[in-house]
Amino acid sequence: MDSKWKVIICLAFLLIILGLPMHAHAHGVRIEYTSSMAIEIVAKYDSGEPMSGAQVVVYAPDDLSTPWLTGVCDDEGRFTFTPDSSKPGTWDVQVRQAGHGGIVHIPVGEDMVVSGGIGGYSVIQIVLMAACVIWGGVGTALYFSRRRA
Amino acid sequence: MHIPDGILPISVTAGGYAATTAITWYSVHKINQKENPREDVPKAALLAAAFFVASLIHIPVPPTSVHLVLNGLLGVTLGYFAFPAILIGLFFQAVMFQHGGLTTLGINAVIMGLPALLCFYIFRLRNIAGRGERMTGAFGFLAGFGGVGISVVLLLVILLTNIPADLDAGVERTAIFTLTLAHVPLMAIEGAFTALMAVFLQRVRPEILVGA
Repeated sequence: MDSKWKVIICLAFLLIILGLPMHAHAHGVRIEYTSSMAIEIVAKYDSGEPMSGAQVVVYAPDDLSTPWLTGVCDDEGRFTFTPDSSKPGTWDVQVRQAGHGGIVHIPVGEDMVVSGGIGGYSVIQIVLMAACVIWGGVGTALYFSRRRA
Repeated sequence: MHIPDGILPISVTAGGYAATTAITWYSVHKINQKENPREDVPKAALLAAAFFVASLIHIPVPPTSVHLVLNGLLGVTLGYFAFPAILIGLFFQAVMFQHGGLTTLGINAVIMGLPALLCFYIFRLRNIAGRGERMTGAFGFLAGFGGVGISVVLLLVILLTNIPADLDAGVERTAIFTLTLAHVPLMAIEGAFTALMAVFLQRVRPEILVGA
């Protein structure tokens, strides 16, 4: 009788030990996903150098007075964040360093755009615009010297 | 040195516009007292264009870079025309290159134009100290050096007193001081440049310099 109970207890233990992992494996795999779009900001000065270490303040569309997230640009002037997709609208991201900086407005939701930005001209555009203003100055100077003569 | 839109509170930008209006009125009033107020317009137009272009010339001062301002030179050559010329230059910089901004046009004009006017007064002291080449060079250097120097101090004070609560004030303060220190070499460069220009003009066309 004694030995019979011992065998039963041992078998029971064995079953429990074997059964535990089997029990865990019995569940299927469940993977859920929600797509979230991360937004990468690249901030540079107009001289082309990155705004490394610049402070970034992100404002959600529902509250434009309290920062939703704050952070710092890396050495390449990059900053990445994932906006809360439950808050569609225009997200404002301010990048600022030593009084330099700007705000970029990023639409999140249905009218989302892949890329955008503010500022930035090509060298030819800059040269042309500068030339126009210089010519304006020279023209003014010529006009007023002619009158004087 | 140009403060863009969205950095300063409205009260400061409005104050900047008020001060700019007052200084412009004073400058125009002084210009009208001249015998021929139109005489210096060609010079002012050319130097306004030079001021406009100067901001595109970047000088790397690690870890940042600064650009020429030339407000000392404008003060030395234009006198009371300096402030209106800088105001016009700043307007075009803001409109065309988004360098600075339209809301901050007033405060930027104060930051760069007011020192130009002060440099004109400094350079005029040459009339007392003597008009030799050495004195012209010395006062030219003082004007160029001081033009950027006073501007940087004004910028420093305005930025330090207007750090928004959302930012890490310590980090921003460090960044502001770094930017200020980066302007020290520029002060020397502009001082030397203005001194050379003043000596050159004194030799070739002394009537271009103020107080001639």
